[in-house]
Amino acid sequence: MSIMNKSSAARLWRQVVRHPIWFFVLVIFIFFSLATDHFFAFHNFQNILVQTSTIGLIALGMTLVMINGNIDLSVGATLALAASLAVDIQGWPVFESWGDWAMLPAVIAALASGIMLGALNGIIVWKTGVNAFIVTLGAMLGVRGLVFIYTQEQSFYAMNFAYSDFGSSAVGPLPTLAVIFLVFTVITHFLLARTVHGRNTYAVGGNRDAAVNAGIRVGPHMVVNFMIVGFFAALAGVTLSTQMGASTPNLGRDYELWTITAVVLGGTKLTGGAGNIIGTLGGVLAIGILRNGMNLMQVPAFYVLVILGTILIAVLFLDKQVNRKEDGELRV
Amino acid sequence: MAEATLTSNRLKGLGGTLAKQGILIAFIVFMIGFALFSEKFLTSGNVMTVIRQAAIVGVMAIGVTVVVIGGNLDLSVGSMLSFSTVLVVDLHDKIGPGEAIAVMLVATLVLGALNGFLIGYLRLNSLIVTLGMLSAIQGLTLIYTGGQNVDISHQDTTWFAVFGRGQVFGLPVPILIFAVVAVIVHVVLAYTPYGRRVYAVGGNPMAAVFSGIRRNRVVACSYLISAFCTGIAAVILGSRVMGSQNNVGQGYELLVLAAVILGGTSLLGGSGSVLKTVIGVLILGFIQNGLLLLGYAYYVQWLVTWVVIILAVWLDVAAKRGRLFSPIA
Amino acid sequence: MTKMIQKSVAAGVVASGLALAGGAQAETMTIGITQNNVGVDSYQTTYEKAFIEAASKNPDVKTIVLDAGGDVARQIAQMQDLIQQQVDAIIIWPTNGKAVVPAVRKANQAHIPVIVTNSNIAKEGQEFIASFSGPNNITQGAYSAEMMCDALDNKGQIVQITGQPGYTTAIERQKGFEDRLAEVCPDVKIIESQPGDWNREKSQRVMEAFLTKYDDIDGVYAGDDNMGVGALNAAKAAGRKDIIFIGATNFSVGYEAMARGEYYGSIYQSPVDDAKNALQTAIDVIKGKDVPKMNYFDTPKITQKNMDQFSKPVF
Repeated sequence: MSIMNKSSAARLWRQVVRHPIWFFVLVIFIFFSLATDHFFAFHNFQNILVQTSTIGLIALGMTLVMINGNIDLSVGATLALAASLAVDIQGWPVFESWGDWAMLPAVIAALASGIMLGALNGIIVWKTGVNAFIVTLGAMLGVRGLVFIYTQEQSFYAMNFAYSDFGSSAVGPLPTLAVIFLVFTVITHFLLARTVHGRNTYAVGGNRDAAVNAGIRVGPHMVVNFMIVGFFAALAGVTLSTQMGASTPNLGRDYELWTITAVVLGGTKLTGGAGNIIGTLGGVLAIGILRNGMNLMQVPAFYVLVILGTILIAVLFLDKQVNRKEDGELRV
Repeated sequence: MAEATLTSNRLKGLGGTLAKQGILIAFIVFMIGFALFSEKFLTSGNVMTVIRQAAIVGVMAIGVTVVVIGGNLDLSVGSMLSFSTVLVVDLHDKIGPGEAIAVMLVATLVLGALNGFLIGYLRLNSLIVTLGMLSAIQGLTLIYTGGQNVDISHQDTTWFAVFGRGQVFGLPVPILIFAVVAVIVHVVLAYTPYGRRVYAVGGNPMAAVFSGIRRNRVVACSYLISAFCTGIAAVILGSRVMGSQNNVGQGYELLVLAAVILGGTSLLGGSGSVLKTVIGVLILGFIQNGLLLLGYAYYVQWLVTWVVIILAVWLDVAAKRGRLFSPIA
Repeated sequence: MTKMIQKSVAAGVVASGLALAGGAQAETMTIGITQNNVGVDSYQTTYEKAFIEAASKNPDVKTIVLDAGGDVARQIAQMQDLIQQQVDAIIIWPTNGKAVVPAVRKANQAHIPVIVTNSNIAKEGQEFIASFSGPNNITQGAYSAEMMCDALDNKGQIVQITGQPGYTTAIERQKGFEDRLAEVCPDVKIIESQPGDWNREKSQRVMEAFLTKYDDIDGVYAGDDNMGVGALNAAKAAGRKDIIFIGATNFSVGYEAMARGEYYGSIYQSPVDDAKNALQTAIDVIKGKDVPKMNYFDTPKITQKNMDQFSKPVF
């Protein structure tokens, strides 16, 4: 009996160690359920999923790039460009006779812009050998400039309410945007955990020389991952603009920082080689639940900033303590 | 084979020159280009204005250069600038200018020490820690003021005005402060044991520790230097505007980082210099001003900055490895 | 005996307490507000304080006060959260006039009346709101243009420093100013406009560039006094004393500069009136009273000449 307890406790501990963020998600979930009336309600869970999906989608792609040992700071600007394209193009006079189908070329153009910007980042990182942080920091400024040049500082507005109705539509009990997010989460999880590309992603991030020796073409491989994160940033731009039925040139500011935060909270190492999608999902949910719960509890906005910052550092600290213990166990 | 080596050597020679002078050459090309298209650009009044405006980013960038050479990042300087400016302006009328500056510098150093403790001693990742501090310090600033703007009431009589608006020997004081800070930190980095330790810790942390350097203390000190520089920048900013909004420093962290990178300081740590950062700061300042004088909208400068950053760092990297393109397959 | 009395008294108190609670339940209204960006400037902060204070004085009103931090997406999330809590009315201070329209429409579909405060939403959204409560920014821009014409004697060249790009207040003030200026004094020309993002330091930098670029500037119109004082700082530093400064939303720094004779005029707009007006509109809407669709409050011109009729703004 006590042995069983011990082994199940050990198993639980191992799970906590592997994904400490899920333990944290559980804690704040219980806390907000007790602390505020409106938190524990199915409709609120739907809201959380939709609110999380924007950062969540980007975080899926960011996880791959970061396991590669790279980073992408330009995702917020890419999101704004895609949203502007998606909303603007569907209103072009050329597509006037297309009806609701005018959304199709608009969304395709938006997604293509993300994939192309991702490819551009990837190729620059590959060919020049400049650190991805610098390449994408430049792109973060430059792509934002492109957004302002394209939009001339204007917000765009989708005349067709079908576009924003899509954003608030549902598939069965779940909002469509939440379904899109969950489906892509599953797909990315399998891509990372079960395919050759996924194995290579870890290999390149873990030990680049060994990866080269094993015959992996590191450059093109990294470009593909940058294209994936570009695609997800653009998709997030599209889904966010369907929530608003509009786009603004300032959309997505600071999103790169919150995305990276979520991914790191989920256990992905900034140095590359380690991380997974289940952890990332925990990371984005943690931020989403904190924001939603503090909203419902009416925590003043000034304090939310301090609390989020403090929690971020505290989780990083705890994660380090837990993992250090894990390392110690391994040594014994 | 022999031919390949030859071209590679020649490239190395050319690259070597570029590596040493690339940023400087780019700087000169820019200045000539703008001067050709705008007659106002190279007037002494305009040049003074640009450097005076760049002084705030510049002083901060000098501090961040030390952090980056030590192998870390500091994204908290933007909201720290908001905090320090609000504090010094608010206390100015309450306890007097000198006291206000002293209290503000102490408070800023405490924040820097917190960064230093978390990153230097607890060995937490600097990107995430300073990101968390960015958010927390912004919140602290808002809680302190309750969201109100702060203002200095007797702007024309206080000696506090000298830091942002004064002139000494015909030179604006912000430029003098910028120059003095640059020289001091340059001397510290290039000629003192502490400077050598910063390079050692950033270049090869393991070797540094084995050779008896206390990595913890060196890193923690770099954050104190960065915070102190931000405090000085806050004095210039507060004195220049004679008031402050709570988000006045928002986005400065990225401008500062861009300037440091443009100067050629490697994000991996272990290399870089204050003087190059100064050139990086000036390039950003003159690009912004030049495009504005040519009548371009303010956001065009972001596009130009993108291209300039990547080209500058690429040339730097290429020169160091002796070939233009990276050898990655 | 005494015990029994105590008991019955206690029971009575409990009963009346219940009755009170029941009565209050029927009349208490919950009003949710999502603001644009509290803390970014004093106007918004004073507004929030005044709103909370006015609401706390009314025992029938319960409020949920939220702040979007300037982020459109977060404001939409807050709208969803408020709809989820089934409040009786939502007051929104839009982060963006266009992007919040679908969220407003959703609240309308959930039969929650929406009151837009301070800065209006795009015309496509007008059918979904119960009322707009705030200043008339077009008129404010026009007032500033009239003051500029007076000050310059209908002749000269000026620069304009606008608010945050894409923000309705900024766009409307700019439009009101430019249209009216062309009507009243076509000989006053705007030589350049640049955004100052409602930020004093940014505005100061923009003005410094203008001063370098143009040797001859007769006047500056700034989208609010915060930016206007930034521009004034730049002109004083450059020793250019002959420039006329006109702003909007009179801040205390602008009021003081006016008292020193350095600043010509502005528009007096009280955040306290703004907040009270919004709250009262929301209460009237919930009670089913007739409310005008455009519920403007008064924002008069303030200049060096008439400034003693106004108290100094608290922000």
